[in-house]
Amino acid sequence: MFTRMSDIDRMFGAMDLLRNKVDRIFGDFDRSYLYGPAFAATNSPRTNLLENGDRFEVQAEVPGISKDNLDIKIQGNYLEISGKRQIDIPEGYKIHRNERGTAAFSRSFTLPDDVDSEKVEATIKDGILYLSLPKSETAKPRQITIN
Amino acid sequence: MDKTTDITKKETKNIEKTHELYETAPAVDIYENENEILLHADMPGVLKENINVDIDNGTLSISGIRKLKIKGTPTYEEFTDVEYVRNFSVPQTIDVEKVEAELKDGVLRLHLPKSEAAKPRQIEIKTA
Repeated sequence: MFTRMSDIDRMFGAMDLLRNKVDRIFGDFDRSYLYGPAFAATNSPRTNLLENGDRFEVQAEVPGISKDNLDIKIQGNYLEISGKRQIDIPEGYKIHRNERGTAAFSRSFTLPDDVDSEKVEATIKDGILYLSLPKSETAKPRQITIN
Repeated sequence: MDKTTDITKKETKNIEKTHELYETAPAVDIYENENEILLHADMPGVLKENINVDIDNGTLSISGIRKLKIKGTPTYEEFTDVEYVRNFSVPQTIDVEKVEAELKDGVLRLHLPKSEAAKPRQIEIKTA
């Protein structure tokens, strides 16, 4: 009897496995852009927006784009990242494959809150643009002391 | 009975782990001139330490792991940690010893020089 129970248990284990796999398929169904190649689908940088207490962090994929070719504009809660990706074909070379496209792009975002445009920091590292946008004073979370 | 449950549960755990990082193929450009083959691959966010370039038996494989630093809660995300993997067949005429790789602005640049024997040669015609 006991061995039979273990058979049943094993069968359910296998079913659980299948269920997990199917769950995974549908969970990622509309999120395939998360792990596709950079810059390929839309010819504009993919962007992440993170919120961290009193600031927003923006990350954008900008492979092969130098800082001179990037423009960042901020007004209130409006953020615009525009630029140009230039692929220079080396002189005297024959092209076998060309998947990385030259493109001009512009993306604009409405941030959840106003940001202090004076204190925004932008850095590019390893082909990723990092923006640190401190929220403006009125939008910051405030500690209220109880009297 | 307990043992079998343990076994199946472990199996499930392993599956979760191997799928944690998605594999994707980076976009590449390939150029060639008389002296070398040039390969440019987009791998934004990958550190130099996390890139592997192997040439083995006529197969060039490049891979790189991107680990993003998460500072805060994601409000929305369009890209994530990923493993870039891509394999190419390279001709045997590549001088494996002299292959060079550089990483700049998230673009991997590979120089694959051709061996001397494979370079085109101009033949001079002698007049008799």
